[in-house]
Amino acid sequence: MSKEQLTLLHKNHLALGAKMAPFAGFMMPLQYSTIKQEVEAVRNNAGIFDVGHMGEFEVVGPDAYAFVDYLITNNFLTAGDLKAVYSPLCREDGTIIDDLIAYKVDFDHVLLCVNAANIEKDWEWITSQQKGFNCVLKNSSNNYSLIALQGPNSEQLLNKLNLMPTGEFEHYSVRKLLWNGEEIIVARTGYTGEEGVELFAQGQAICQIWDKLIKLNVTPCGLIARDVLRLEAGFSLYGNELTDELTPLDCGLKWTVRGEKGRFIGKESLCDSQYTPRYRQIRLALERGVPRTSYPVVNSSEAEVGVVTSGTLSPTLGRGIALASIPREKFSISESYAIKIRDKIYPATRYKKPFITGGYKPWNSKPQKS
Amino acid sequence: MEFKTPEELRYTKDHEWISSDGDVITIGITDFAQSQLGDIVFVELPEVGTTVENNSPFGVVESIKSVSDLIAPVSGEIVEVNTDLDNAPEQCNSAPFKAWMIKIRCSNLDELDSLLSAQDYLPLCQEN
Repeated sequence: MSKEQLTLLHKNHLALGAKMAPFAGFMMPLQYSTIKQEVEAVRNNAGIFDVGHMGEFEVVGPDAYAFVDYLITNNFLTAGDLKAVYSPLCREDGTIIDDLIAYKVDFDHVLLCVNAANIEKDWEWITSQQKGFNCVLKNSSNNYSLIALQGPNSEQLLNKLNLMPTGEFEHYSVRKLLWNGEEIIVARTGYTGEEGVELFAQGQAICQIWDKLIKLNVTPCGLIARDVLRLEAGFSLYGNELTDELTPLDCGLKWTVRGEKGRFIGKESLCDSQYTPRYRQIRLALERGVPRTSYPVVNSSEAEVGVVTSGTLSPTLGRGIALASIPREKFSISESYAIKIRDKIYPATRYKKPFITGGYKPWNSKPQKS
Repeated sequence: MEFKTPEELRYTKDHEWISSDGDVITIGITDFAQSQLGDIVFVELPEVGTTVENNSPFGVVESIKSVSDLIAPVSGEIVEVNTDLDNAPEQCNSAPFKAWMIKIRCSNLDELDSLLSAQDYLPLCQEN
């Protein structure tokens, strides 16, 4: 018997013939069909992912928003009602404990969604910082199930299942709704760069929604496809791009550090005018070859100047793609970079934008007035 | 799942197939290997004239998320390389027994004795 935790959908995965493996203390589906088919389904149609391993913390009380704003580097208070905010969670010295999404579920209720591997570390940190804030913290990681429905057909599928919130529902928004008598938190977030939602629920409803989506021919997708999709979209992964040693300014997350807001943990370090980031994150695509984590990045003189933090073959582009980190002093905007694979140099093109860029349209369940 | 193991070929525990013609052998990966690897996206092979050692890596086969060594089943000199796989690595998935990789002129024909028959190889095609 394995000691890994099982998600509520474990039996569903076995029934679908998923290849399962331990991941961050959970038995998780790696893939069901082929990675290519799963990635293509999300890019062109729709896919569903069990991400029940992710951690959920709840912050409830009059100071819930203020406390979350103090914890994270991004601006939580200025985000509108029922919005979600992506942010690193940093220590005083600016190093990254984790990255998370904070959801304004209600005026006095914030849901924090954190990485599975960091649940204990985050919980210890967050509870240690709460002094002076009038709110209650709850680690609800074992109570919530979480599935992600991602892809251009997500909107249509949500409508079909009566899971579309009423009124305008923008990207990075969240709503609570009742579905078959159970409360579902529907969030327009994801980790694929496509339109879609993440659905949080505490009861069996997630299994019913999963089964309904499978019956509607939505492609079940595993963690490998999820990793390929997030890399195509240029999203960082904690453990690869983000680590305990780096600050958000070292890894392309300057936009999440909001010096204009009030006090927050890490502000003194990150917003100090003397502070200079140590690394520059770049995106590289190859004509030939597949970059992988820890492969060296070389400059035009073939000197090793950096390292690949994540790499894969992108099924969407048909090319090898990578996120790479280069020490600031070795980085030059005019330099051309290549990746060394088994001692051979493979030329690369720098992408100024993510490899895949989707637009997020507002969803509106109200009939359009002509 | 059923995996093809043509009777006329010989096999290795590393899931490669071998056909021989005199002292020249042809090497590819088996149906089981391609199935385990998934979508093959890159094959890196040595140049003609390179010498290889029995049980040592001679190249690499990559799927979207994995890198696997190709292991030489015999020692000798590479006399031919299937450069078609450069632009069409997916042939390893669609037709594994046609998508040969390299041909080696064996320097020690005794090494061929340790290759497996289809019958002996089939039990190694176990998914874990």
